Parts: sequence; C-alpha cells; structure tokens
Amino acid sequence: MQQQPQALQPPFDNTLSRARRSVELGLVLLAGIITASAYVLASLGERASMPARIVPFMVFVLSLLVVTHVVVRFVARGADPLLLPTAALLHGLGYVMIARLSDHWAGLQATWSLVGVAAFALTLFFVERPSDLQNYQYTSLALGLGLLLLPMVPGIGFTSGGARIWVSIGPINFQPGEFAKILLAIFFASYLGQHRTQIARGDKKILGYTLPALEHLAPILLAWAVSVVVMVGEKDLGSSLLFFTLFVVMLWIATERTSFLVVGVGLFAGGAFIAYKLFAHVQTRVDIWLNPWDQYTGPGYQPIQGLFALANGGMGGTGLGLGDPAAIPAAHNDFIFAALGEELGLLGTTAVLAAFVLLVGAGMRTALRAQKDFDKLLATGLTTILAVQTFIIIGGVLRVVPLTGVTLPFMSYGGSSLVSNYVLLALLVRISDTTARGLYEVPDEASPSERFAAWRTRKAEAK
Amino acid sequence: MNQRIRHLTVALIALFGILFVQLTNWQVLQRDTLVADARNNRITVREFDKMRGAIVTADGTVIAATEPIDPANRPNSRFQFQRVYPTKDLYANISGYYTLGFGSTQLERTHNDVLAGTTAQQQLESTGGLFSKEDLSGTVQLTLNNDIQKAAKRALGNREGSVVVMDPITGAVLAMYSNPTFDPNDVVTQTGSVGQTLTALQEDPRKPLLANAYQERYMPGSTFKIVTTTAGLETKVIDLMSVFKNSRSWTPPNTKKPIRNYGKKVCGGDLAEVFRRSCNIPFAQTAVNVGPVAMVDATTRFGFDEKVPFDLPGAAASTFGGTAEDFTDSLALLAIHGFGQGQVQVTPLHMAMITSSVANAGVMMKPFVVQQTLTHNRNVIRRTNPEAWKTTMSATTAATMTQLMIGVAQSGTAACCLQLNGGISVAAKTGTAQLNPEGEKQRSHAWITAFAPAQAPRYAISVFIKGVNDAVSASTGGRLAGPIAKQVLDVALALPPSK
Repeated sequence: MQQQPQALQPPFDNTLSRARRSVELGLVLLAGIITASAYVLASLGERASMPARIVPFMVFVLSLLVVTHVVVRFVARGADPLLLPTAALLHGLGYVMIARLSDHWAGLQATWSLVGVAAFALTLFFVERPSDLQNYQYTSLALGLGLLLLPMVPGIGFTSGGARIWVSIGPINFQPGEFAKILLAIFFASYLGQHRTQIARGDKKILGYTLPALEHLAPILLAWAVSVVVMVGEKDLGSSLLFFTLFVVMLWIATERTSFLVVGVGLFAGGAFIAYKLFAHVQTRVDIWLNPWDQYTGPGYQPIQGLFALANGGMGGTGLGLGDPAAIPAAHNDFIFAALGEELGLLGTTAVLAAFVLLVGAGMRTALRAQKDFDKLLATGLTTILAVQTFIIIGGVLRVVPLTGVTLPFMSYGGSSLVSNYVLLALLVRISDTTARGLYEVPDEASPSERFAAWRTRKAEAK
Repeated sequence: MNQRIRHLTVALIALFGILFVQLTNWQVLQRDTLVADARNNRITVREFDKMRGAIVTADGTVIAATEPIDPANRPNSRFQFQRVYPTKDLYANISGYYTLGFGSTQLERTHNDVLAGTTAQQQLESTGGLFSKEDLSGTVQLTLNNDIQKAAKRALGNREGSVVVMDPITGAVLAMYSNPTFDPNDVVTQTGSVGQTLTALQEDPRKPLLANAYQERYMPGSTFKIVTTTAGLETKVIDLMSVFKNSRSWTPPNTKKPIRNYGKKVCGGDLAEVFRRSCNIPFAQTAVNVGPVAMVDATTRFGFDEKVPFDLPGAAASTFGGTAEDFTDSLALLAIHGFGQGQVQVTPLHMAMITSSVANAGVMMKPFVVQQTLTHNRNVIRRTNPEAWKTTMSATTAATMTQLMIGVAQSGTAACCLQLNGGISVAAKTGTAQLNPEGEKQRSHAWITAFAPAQAPRYAISVFIKGVNDAVSASTGGRLAGPIAKQVLDVALALPPSK
C-alpha cells in the first residue's frame, strides 16, 4: 500500500522547502494584516477612535506570527504551507471579535494565544518524527482516559454551563477533554496502524459474517466505551459525539470495511435513542433544538438571539463594532460564529467556513500524502476532530444539529481549546513535514536531537 | 486507505456545505422575518445604547448623565452605556427616566432629540466618518438651582407635599421638589426587574411618579383670597378703605347654610385686617358682590381652567370649579369658592405663578425649567426667552396686593413663622384648605405662598403640604408651611443675585 519512492534522487537543495516557507510567510503576514485591519475597524466602529493599544497589538500579533513561522522554518521546513496561515487567520478574526466584545476576555485570550503558540513550538520541538508517538501508545490511552475522568474527581472537578468538564488545580482552570481528544486520536492511530489487518480480516464467523477477535478489538472498545460513557456522565454531549465519530471514522479508514461504518452509525442511532430516553438533559437539548421559540424566555433565548444576530447581519453584515453581538449570551464562546455573522454578514461567515474547509482540506491532503499507516491515521483522526468539532458547534448555532457546548477551534474564547488546537495543528505540520522528507521533496536533514546525539558521539570519539 | 480518506474528505466538505445552506437560510432567506420579530430588539437597543447628553442645573450640578460601562466590572453586559442620575430622587419629577422597553418621561422624553444628538443643528456639526459612531449628544441646562432644590427637600422632610420657587420676573423655575418621589436609578438598571419596579411605583397609592408640584391640583384654601381680593379691587367692589363688620356667620343669598370663619371665630375690620387675619366671610361677600361673570373673568385672567404653558409634560390645569352660569344658579357656591373652598383646585406651581404676578406688577410669566440646550460643541441650540402669559391685574392693584401680603407676614397669619434672616421684607398669604364638611373628622391641606424681598422681588415661593394625617390637619398653613418657606427663602436669599 505504501508508495515506493520512484527513482531515488535525494535532493540536496532546499528549493521546494524555501518556496513553501515563502508562501507560508506571505500568507501569515496577510493573516496578520487582515487581523490588524479588523481590529482597527472594530475600534472605529465601536468608539469612533483608533484603538488605544494599536501599536503594541500589532507588535504582539506580528511577533507571534513571525515566531511561529520561524519555528516551522527551522524544524519543519517541508511542511504544508497552508496549515499555519489558515489557523492564524481564524485565530486572529476570533480574537478581534472577543476583543470587540470585552476587554476582559481579550486580555485573557491574548495570554492564551501566547501559551498556544508556545505549545505549537514545543510540540514541533519534542515530536521530531510522528512515529515517536507510537512508543507512547498505551501511555496515550491511559493519559487520555485519565484526563477524561479528571473532572469527576471530587475537589478539583467542577461544573460550569451544565457540563462537568472542568478541572481546577490551583489557579488554573482547564478542560481536560480538549487534550484527551488528541491523546485518544494518537492511541487509535497507533493501535489501528498495528492491528488493522487482523481487525479487518476477522477470525470468527458468526452467521456467515466474519468478526474480528475480541482480543483485537478490546482496547478500542474499552477506549470508546469509557470515553462515551464518561462524557455522557459529565453531560458533555458535544464531546461524546466527537469521540464517537472519531472512533467510527478511524476504524472505517483503517480497516477499509464499510460494514464498520454501517454498524457504527447504527450503534450511534441506538445509543442516541437510549440516551434520549434515559437522560433528561439530552431531552432538554433536543427540545430546545426543535422548539426554541416556545422557550424564548428560558433556554431558547440564547439560540434565538444567535439567529437574530445572524439575520441582523444579513448579506453584508453591520460592520465590525457596529452590531449588537453582546446581546447573545456567551457570544465570545459557543456563539462567536453568530457574533461574526452579525458584524461580517453572510460574506464574512462564508469566508470563515471557507477557511475551515481549507484547513480541513490541508489536513486531509497531509493524510493522503503520508507514507506510514500511523501518520495517515493520525492525520485523518486529527483533521476529523477539527472538522467535526467545527460542524457540531456551527451546526448547533445554525440549528442544523442540537446545540452542544463545544468550542469553535481557534476562534472561541478559551485557553484549553486554543492550546489543544495548536498542539493538533503542530502534529499535522509535523506529519506533513515528515512526509515531504520521506518523499524526498526536501532534504531529510538531521533533527536537532539527532544532531545533538551525533555531536555527543563525535565528542566521545575524540576523547 | 487513501480512497476512504478521499470519501471522508468529501463527506466532511459536504457537512460544511450543509452549514453554508443553513447559513444562507438564516442570513438571507429568513432574514426579514427574523429582523421583524417583536422579540428582536436589536435595533431598539442600538438606538438606546448610545452616548446620551447630560441634564445639568443652572449651577452645573449634573442630574442625569450617561457613563460608559467598565467591562472589567460587568464583563457580560450587553450594554456599553449606563444612564445615571447622580442626584437620585432630587430631580426625578423633572428629569424623568430613560428606559429600554418602558419608555421615557419628562425631559428625558421631551428633549430626547437634543440628548441623543439628532436635532438638525447637531447633525450639521457632525464630522463623523462612514465607519464610526460619533458622539453628538447635547446638553440640557436647567434654570433650577441645586442649593435651593436641596433646601426645599430638606425643609419638606418626609411630609407629603411640594415646594416651588420661581423667579417672578422671568418665570424661571428655580426649585421644584415633590414628595413622594422616586429614584430614577432604580428604573434604568437594565435588569429584568425594571418592569416590576415601575409597576410597583405606578400602583403605589401615594403616586410617587406624579409630581404633586405640577401634575396634581389641590384645594387652595385661603391662598385663593389673593385672586378674590384682586377681582374685588380691579372691579372696584372693594378698596383699602372697605370695612367688613365683625361677624361669626353669614348666610349667602338663596341658601340656608351659613358660612363661618376658620375656627368659628368672630372676624372683621378693614381690608388689610381681614386679609391679614384671613377671615372667610368678607371674601365670600366680595365674591358674591363681584358677581359670577366678573369672578370667572378674573380667574381666567389668572390662567384658571387653562393649560399652563410649561416646558414639562403633563402639567395639570387649575380650576375655579364652575362656569359663570353655575355660579349664577348658586351664589352660595360662588361665596364658598371666594375663599378657596369647594371645587376650587390649584396646582402648587400655579400658586407660585399667581404670587409671582403680584410681585411682577401684574404680569404672569410663562414658567420654564429649561434655560438652554447645547450641542456637543457647546453651541446654543435653543435658549428660552422669558415670555409673558397673562396680565392678572394692574400695576396699581399689584402694589395694593403687595401691601396686603406684607401685612400677612408682618402681623397676620404668617407672622409666627416667616421672619426671614436679616429682616428681609416678605409678602405672603397662608391657606388651610378644609377638605371635609364641618362636623366630620377634620382633614386639611396647609399652604403658604410668598415673595421676597417684598420691594424688589427675587423669589416667589409656594409651599404645599397634603392633608394626609392628623398632625398636618391639626395645624394651619402659616404654622406648618411657614417655617418651610422661611428655610428655603433664607437659603435662596443668601445666594448672590444672578446677573
């Protein structure tokens, strides 16, 4: 299944990597210019004056962008040039909307942006080859499930907005589920990469249908069952849906057996029905989704305010700073897409959707090009997380699906979400860079740790 | 695997396609329905949540202003601005309130265009651009003086009633305080309780939302004798030489029910004495002698039964309580109305205007509270010029009335309680309006109206105390309202004269 590299001609020049990085730099600067212009327009619209902190803001934005670009240039020079700029654009637009809604949240989000970019750089530094992560297969599983269970621990876990998905340790509050999704994707990719043929082939025949042996499926079923049950227990329906989709999609891709997809969808339908019958909060969510107008003075208020905001924006939007997005409760968080819709209109929201499609496309291209099963599966899993999470929250705001509180990647306010999405982005960047080296598109130079090891060896030999 | 990944990619992009379709549905196809929905108050809110100008007193005290909301204190506020009334309840019945969804009242309503910055002149001064909201909000500057207003509130204390102080020469209202009142800050909080607070205020039997100084009218009692005496002097039915014989009771024509003096006293003497002592019988007789037509004419010249041209909305009209025909049919009624009992009703503001016309040689000025309105560049939009409304009497009669009213303050019903600091001369008339017929439990309003200095008038005042309890009803206008008028006038007269 792996393509054999044609006529081996390892390149020794950096023509292609330089071209990719130049494209990336140009696009990153463009994202910076769009962000800064939007920031100025929002301030002009709101207060009829230039933003008070425009110079520090521009310096901050540009240095963050340039630093991330330089990091990629040094440690992942062959990577896809679309991944980082698209994320930066979404991040910038989201930040402008948060800043326009509240200085308070904006200040915190700026700090989280810094942490997110640091997480991006650190991930690229520590994960030099995606296969490094395969060594941590069961560590990822244990850590992922541990993180999922953390909010249930009395004393540190707490409930906010109806879902018990928060953990408070000392001064820091975070949503461990945001990181668990990456760890579980790593586990799935690694485990399925190793066992996909056995699982696909199956070795038990029941009623003329081959089923994989339970021993092969057990770890995955465990991971799936624990995550979904825990999520339902924590009343975090959005994340349950996300994990379930991730599991089914990865199993389907790895085994290439459509029956898994069918069974998965069937299981989902059954599970959803049972959850609806059993849990009052699930019924509430569905009821709000179907009849928000009847509950305008209650739980229907937020979704309807979201629709009002979108309608108020219309085709062209009110203009940044000139709408009334603060009328939507939690506009900076779950409903940031509706806030954008009011001020940027259909033109702006379509552009945001297009940016997400571009990001998902770049992620999937990374998966398609990847040479190893693990890389392929991980890239697919991570991109699926990004796409499905985006769909769940935007679809919730637009009443395509019931509203469940997940964050809009890169745009919503929230430290855990921003940091975890930057880690996710770094992993995609790393996979695409490794692929480019494997395809001999760029020289497969030694990584910093390899160079360090070589230097130590030389030093030892010199003695 | 690649084929499956391609299928997955197509599926995911299809999901985004669904989002795009639904987005178009909300933002374009269903847009008009959603924007027109009554629950979508975004446009109202956008009009509401703006910088709004201040209302300030003549001495620069801010009574209504808009402050930007500090997001650090209220991170989830939908609003950027908060209307505040720093003087709390002191000017509530003048400024009114400005709410989202519950309307606005008084100056907040009548001067909304200036405060919001939408008058033509303010729009012309705009230099704003395409992308921005410019602050064009204007200022409303009042004639009221904060020192006098505070003195009025302090002097009135917790008694129900009002104090009105005017400049008799211009008609400018310098203080106007009514109790009970309310704190407009309570109804502009932007929380869900505004409706409940307003309903509670509307249902309060003491009617705190209505300014009793100018939106309600009351029986004037003996203060109305200013009008009857003026009518008598102008028609030459009486003059300073007139003498009224001492009597305990008098039965008007065509009735058997006798009229008595206050406290059933024997009362009589020359005009100055009966005015000073506020006998009832002489003025009942004067009203009957002047006659129904001339009495109604006189009250019309004083602006009774006519809307007062005031620049605050909802000002009540005083009434003489009947037409010339009514009084021709019943001279007894005319006799009773002659000393301010029966169906006569006067607003405290109008009472101050009646006194002002005596002080101003018979010319009654239009009352006003708005001195001028200004643009954000401090250019004048409109300035109120003093205007005469009525000529109530000749200058000669006004001089005679002044003399009579000085007598009241020097040695009459107000002598007890209206001796001003520094011996400044004052002209006054008291009133004790008996609300119930004789024999029933006594209830009475207490009034005093005055102007000072008597020879070069700077201030006209009317003090009204509602007869809601025994403590009020047991006393007289002079004893009860007199000290309040003295306190307020002392503060006012200590102020440097305005240019």
